[in-house]
Parts: sequence; C-alpha cells; structure tokens
Amino acid sequence: MIHISNIFLALILLSVLLSLRSNRLMALVKLIAFQGIVVSAVPLVLDTAHGLTFKLIMFFFLLVLVKGVLIPGLMSIAVNKVVVSREIEPIIGYHASLFAGLIMIVVSVYITNNLYFASMGTSHKLLMVTAITTMGAGLILLMARRKAITQVIGYLIMENGIYLIGTALAKEVHTQYVVEFAVLLDLLVAVLVMGIVLNDINHTFDDVDTALLGQLKD
Amino acid sequence: MLQFVFLIPLLAGIAVFFLPAKIGRPALFTTAVIHATFTALEWFKLTGPLQTKYFSNTPEGMLVLAILSFLFLFISLYTVFYMGEVEMSKEPVFNGSMLLFLSSMSMVAIADHIIVLWIAVEATTLMSAPLIFVHRSKESLEATWKYVLICSVGIALALLGCFFVIFSMEMSNVHVPISFTSLNAVASQLNPVWLKAGFIFILIGYGTKMGLAPMHTWLPDAHSEAPSPASALLSGALLNCAFLGIYRCHQLMFAAGLGGYSSNVLIAFGLASMLVSAVFILNQTDYKRMLAYSSIENMGIIAVGIGIGGLAAFGAMLHMIHHSLVKSSLFLSAGNILLGYGTKVIDKTGGMLRLFPKTGMTFFAGFVGISGFPPFGLFISELLIILGAIKAGRYVAISIFIFSLILIFAGASRLVMQMVFSERDNDSILVPEKWSRALPPILLLLTSLILVIWLPDSIYQTIQNAISSIGGTVNG
Repeated sequence: MIHISNIFLALILLSVLLSLRSNRLMALVKLIAFQGIVVSAVPLVLDTAHGLTFKLIMFFFLLVLVKGVLIPGLMSIAVNKVVVSREIEPIIGYHASLFAGLIMIVVSVYITNNLYFASMGTSHKLLMVTAITTMGAGLILLMARRKAITQVIGYLIMENGIYLIGTALAKEVHTQYVVEFAVLLDLLVAVLVMGIVLNDINHTFDDVDTALLGQLKD
Repeated sequence: MLQFVFLIPLLAGIAVFFLPAKIGRPALFTTAVIHATFTALEWFKLTGPLQTKYFSNTPEGMLVLAILSFLFLFISLYTVFYMGEVEMSKEPVFNGSMLLFLSSMSMVAIADHIIVLWIAVEATTLMSAPLIFVHRSKESLEATWKYVLICSVGIALALLGCFFVIFSMEMSNVHVPISFTSLNAVASQLNPVWLKAGFIFILIGYGTKMGLAPMHTWLPDAHSEAPSPASALLSGALLNCAFLGIYRCHQLMFAAGLGGYSSNVLIAFGLASMLVSAVFILNQTDYKRMLAYSSIENMGIIAVGIGIGGLAAFGAMLHMIHHSLVKSSLFLSAGNILLGYGTKVIDKTGGMLRLFPKTGMTFFAGFVGISGFPPFGLFISELLIILGAIKAGRYVAISIFIFSLILIFAGASRLVMQMVFSERDNDSILVPEKWSRALPPILLLLTSLILVIWLPDSIYQTIQNAISSIGGTVNG
C-alpha cells in the first residue's frame, strides 16, 4: 500500500523540479504557494500513529495561512509591480538547473542512506531525501538566477527544505508551538522586508536584475 | 524582570514609528536610559538570578548586554544631534528601527532556548535592514539587498544546525528542554557526530552575521552605506551578538568533550578573517569601508582568542569590550567627517587636524587604539591572546596572527595619516563640527582608557565566569 505521505513528498519533489525549469515569475509564485501548502500538510500525514491533535491541526492552518497564502500573496504583489515577468539569461541555464536538481536527488539519497542511521521507517527516509533535495534546489535557484524575485523564491524553497528536515529530525520542536510560531513570523517579516527592498530596486533601476547591483566592491 | 530589556525598546520602537520625529528623537535617548537602568539592575543581580523557559542571565550574555546598553546610550545621544544636520525623509522609520534593533539584540543577549536565540538573531537582521536602507540611494539599496539575502540564507543554515543539535539529543534518547542550560547539563550523553555537524552549521550561520571570512561579503557594504550611528551600532553591538550565538555553542561543545574540535575550527575561521581583511584594507579608498574591514579583523581576533582558550580566552572577552568601545567611537567620528566633507573617499579628505581639530584628534586616537597601541585596551587584550597562544604552543597560528596585525597596521596607518595630517587646498567644509557631536565618541574612547587603568571587579568576575566553562582562566 502506498502511504499517503509518499504522495505528498512526490508532489513536493515535482514542484521543486518544476521551479528549476520555470522561467515565468508568476508561475514560480504559484508553485511556491502550492509547495507551501503541501509542506505544511506533511506533519499531518506523517505520523498518524499519534493521531491528530487539536494543536497539530491548528498549527497546520497557521502554516497554510503563512506559507500558502500570505507569502505567495506578497510575492505576487511584487511580481505585478515589476516591469519584467520573465527571467532572462539566467546564470545557469534551465536545462542545466534541472539536471543539477536531478543530481541533487541522487546525492540526497546517498546522504540519507549513509548518514541517516536512525531506526526510523522508510517514510522518514523518503522525507529526508525530499528535504535535502528541496534545500539544495533552493540554493541552486538562489545562486543561478539574476532576478531578485527568483532569488527570494529560492530562499523560500530552501526554507521549506529546512522546515522538512526539522520535521524529519526533531519531533521535540513540535511540542513548542510558541517557538515555531515565532520562526514563522520571522520568515514572514523577512519576505516583507525583502519585498520592500525589491520594490525600491524596481523603482530605482526599472528592473529587478541583481546584475545591476554591482556598484559596491573592492 | 529580565524580559523588560527587550520588551521596553520593542514597545517604544513601535510607538516611535507612528510619532513625529520631534518626539522620536528624545524618545530614543529616554529609552536608552531606561534600558541602561534595567541592564544595570540585572548586572548587579538586584532582581536575582533568573531562569525561565526561554531566557536566562548568563555571564557572557550579561557582558554583551552591558556593552550594548552602554553603547546605545552614547549612540542615541549622538543620533539626536546628528539628525539635526541631515535630511532624512523618513526619520520616524529610522528612529523606530534603531529601537527595534536594540530590542532584538537585547533578546539575543538573554536568550537561552536554542531556537529563541535563532529567532532573535534573524530579527536583528530584519530590524537593521531599514537602517541601512534609509538613504534609498542605489548603493544603499545594493547594500541592503546583499545584507538581507546573505544573512538570511546564512541564518537559515544556522537553523539547520539547531535541528542537528536537537537531533543529536534524540539520537541518544535524552529528553530535556532545548535550552543551552539544560543541554550543557546532559552534553556528555549527546551524539557527538550530529553535535559536530550542528556546530559547523551554526558557526557558518552566525559566522555570516559576525563577519567571519569567507562569509563576510555583506559587511563592508552594509557598514559603509548605513548612516554612521547605525554603522556604529552594527559594528559595536551586532557583531558581538552573533559572536555570542557561536560562543554558546562552543560552550556546549566543551561540555560534550568536543572542545578541541570546535576550537580548531574557530581558530581557522578567525585567521582567515584576519588575512582577508589585511589584504583588502591595503588599497582601500573609502574610510568607512576601511573601518568595516577592521571590524572583520577584530572579529577574527576574538574567534582566534576564544579558540586558543586559557589566558587567550580572557583576552578575547576583553577584546570584545574594547573593540566595541573604540570602533563605535571611530564610526561616530566617521559620521562627523562625512558630514564635514560630504564624501567617503579618503583622497577628498585631509587636513582634519586644522579643519576639524576635535574630530581629527578623536579619530586619530581611535585609530591608535584600534591598532593595538597603549594606552588603549586593545593593546592588553591582543598581548594576552599572544601570550595565551605561546603558552598553548600554537606557534603557527600566532605567527599568522601577528603577521596580519602588522599588515593591517601598515595598510590602515597610511590612510589615516593622509586623512588627519595631509594638507588640503580648499577649506570649504559643509558642516562645521560641534561639541554635541564630538563628545560621544570622545567619551567612548575615554571609557576604554579608564577600563585599562581600572577594570571594575564585577566586570573582571563576569568575564571569568563567562570563560570558565571553556577552560579559560587568567592565571592559566
């Protein structure tokens, strides 16, 4: 029987690969919304043995609100304001990025098999593979793209990956929702600050290309 | 109540956002005074030792908090008069962000829970971003973008490190609250492999914020583009806060018996930072960037000192105090220089001793201090680190250490001499200097001088308590 969490993890992997291939900024924002919602749902489907507590469900809604609605909402406002809607001339091409993403999956399977010597089930192993791939893909996106918006999206994908690793590794964290809530708040404010700076970059340069940000150097 | 040190600036900061600048400026100084009062109460343990779920007053945290509070007192005073001279379209945002920045840094200083510490460090990035951004020029936009993105990614990696530390606990079936105090108590039972991995990620994450090479690239840009009071706060207080995050993990590593490993890593990163700043300071054309690279150097010195341990650890803590005092004084002087000449380019300044005698003298004295000459405190702290290294038999590390110090002195002295003593043809200056803006940097320098002659016993004891957990001692 295919466990339901595996479907969710496959969906996350799919969204990661799509994000590496996509060159339209709006499509990327929609992807990040989708990924945010699926990532928020992972803790719900992962450990059904403990049952669904009220706190878990409330936290799920909070995560969906922030990762699936508020952050993508802020990003789509930013995309609508900027002059360009596409990533042009990425530093690393789309096919190369996609290939790097596939290699990332292989690497993360290798890492998981070799380092992850815990006595946890296969669903946790798959979760680790997905999480490391997501994090790596976020980093690739962050470094391989010129547009400031794509870099923020790369950061968000990376953050999703780290959140998944946290879900896989640290059950303890989930007992303190105050702390998790604050982490979420930090993320939201980070995106807000990045959005404001992004807006000003767009105003000043008529573009959000970070290649234009090359004045300061030694 | 310990939490007041961050709650009061938080509330004041939010209020200042919505108030006109006329009220905002006095509010800045008033909050600084209140903050200093609460810090003093905590310092002398008048409210008693405190241990809650998320916060505690540790000696190293109190040291960082005391430096922060002291600096903020003078910087806020300076800001009040500085703001009178500059045009700033959104001054309430600047004043409010200064207070929120103070709040988040105070939270770092007293955080005990691993994730709360992380949240506070990330908050410092977000609260200080508007400070760098405030001029809205092309350069400041670039600096802010780099700062926010590089630091956020770095700190995200630190979160991963925190998860590894938590996982090292689960691996060995230990279940305690994830605060440093309780983790230190059970440290020997933690899984060493994951603890090491956690330390590396946390070092890279908070090291980005602290300005350790090669993750330092945001630092010169941010420090040079921010208005001078903000630069002073970034360099004098924020870097210490990031260092505190690393130091808490270093203590945990020591408690787990992995101190040798984390020490070596710290020394390597510290020496790399010193070498990088030595190379980049040589041909610097911008005096605020020069000061920023000097901050990278000094953070490297602190990392090396803590890594060597023993006597050097005492030196490192002393270095942290004196660096904060002298460097923030230098940045405040740089603010006066920038107001006077209207440029950050070294070649366009000059003749400061004639045109700005007070600022010129303070800037030169600050430079003497930061280069590690007597009578300022950095001389003693660097000497202690060198002695400690020789005692520990770390000859290679200390050779690189001394070599970098000489290189940096050679590079920076040429630039500072040119600024202070060279002749300048035209005497046109934009804003003449005033006592109100010259006094705060002088007072900060004097404090460093006084602490050399007379180090109060409570500071001495606090440093000793802070370093005893990593085997540091004065007599060692």
